[in-house]
Amino acid sequence: MKQELLKEIIKKKENKVEFAIITNLENGESCIFEKKKPVDKNFEKHIEKINFYFDKKKNGIIEETNIFIETYIRPIKVIIVGAVHIAQYLVDFAKSLNFEISIIDPRGYFASEQRFPGIKIINKWPKEAFKEISTNSQTALIALTHDPKIDDPALQYAIKNKFFYIGALGSKKTHENRCKRLKEANIKDEDIKKIFGPIGIKLGGRSAPEIALSIISQLVSEVYKK
Amino acid sequence: MKNSFDEKILNEANDWKNAKQKVVLATVIQTWGSSPRAVGSRMIVNENGDFSGSVSGGCVETAVVRECVNLIKEKKLFKKIEFKVSNESAWEIGLACGGEIAIFLEEIK
Repeated sequence: MKQELLKEIIKKKENKVEFAIITNLENGESCIFEKKKPVDKNFEKHIEKINFYFDKKKNGIIEETNIFIETYIRPIKVIIVGAVHIAQYLVDFAKSLNFEISIIDPRGYFASEQRFPGIKIINKWPKEAFKEISTNSQTALIALTHDPKIDDPALQYAIKNKFFYIGALGSKKTHENRCKRLKEANIKDEDIKKIFGPIGIKLGGRSAPEIALSIISQLVSEVYKK
Repeated sequence: MKNSFDEKILNEANDWKNAKQKVVLATVIQTWGSSPRAVGSRMIVNENGDFSGSVSGGCVETAVVRECVNLIKEKKLFKKIEFKVSNESAWEIGLACGGEIAIFLEEIK
């Protein structure tokens, strides 16, 4: 592989483009494959098979060829509401797990660049903040403020937009009250039930990094259930 | 759903190249039976045998490093290597888990 190609791959990853690296194992030549873009001449013969593997997001040697394909998918988006202490640890875990993090918090003193270097921070109320993020059914929401003014609108947005994971921090009591409020706001029971609250799997710890670990563990396990 | 658990090996490979090192990229291209790392797992090796990343759970890395250093010495551009379950002692190179893997080595030029 040429270093130029390596640099191009890194750039595509940073720009969150979906692509594949295809390598001819017989002559060592490799190139980038992107949907609907012309493919290198050396690989034209197998274009149908390459497309098939690409669509299935499969990695491996393409059947009856000497071509190895590795597909790169976009990272899963995780939106954290509340730039609190736990969020600082969540960001660390999420980095190694390659989740794409955005943080929403209207309180400027929490959501500072200094506390979250290199992370997309939106210093607005959820309703306004969501206008700046494109979301879909592959997006997750982690609500951490346990302040109804901030968490509730974000939870409602996530429910309406069918996020695959919605979790909210708070005790059982806090969560019961939250559910009541959402019901009053005409959110369906079945949707309210989908919220993970109290958030996280039971690990036992109560420190910020332990709670962050319990949340991220739950999130990862939900990724593979969908 | 799938997540792209990217281990940033390619970024590291680029950094090593920029630091004027010779770098060989090793990628798991095929697995049979129970192998510890999935297809697409990567490691990089330089001419001194320093390495980063993994292609197994530590079972075959030593041998892969040796192969990569040889690739640089022999001035070859690429090579495919395979590891099968070892019938010999546990110290023998091989996958104790009973799996088999094929790895593609290529120098970054």
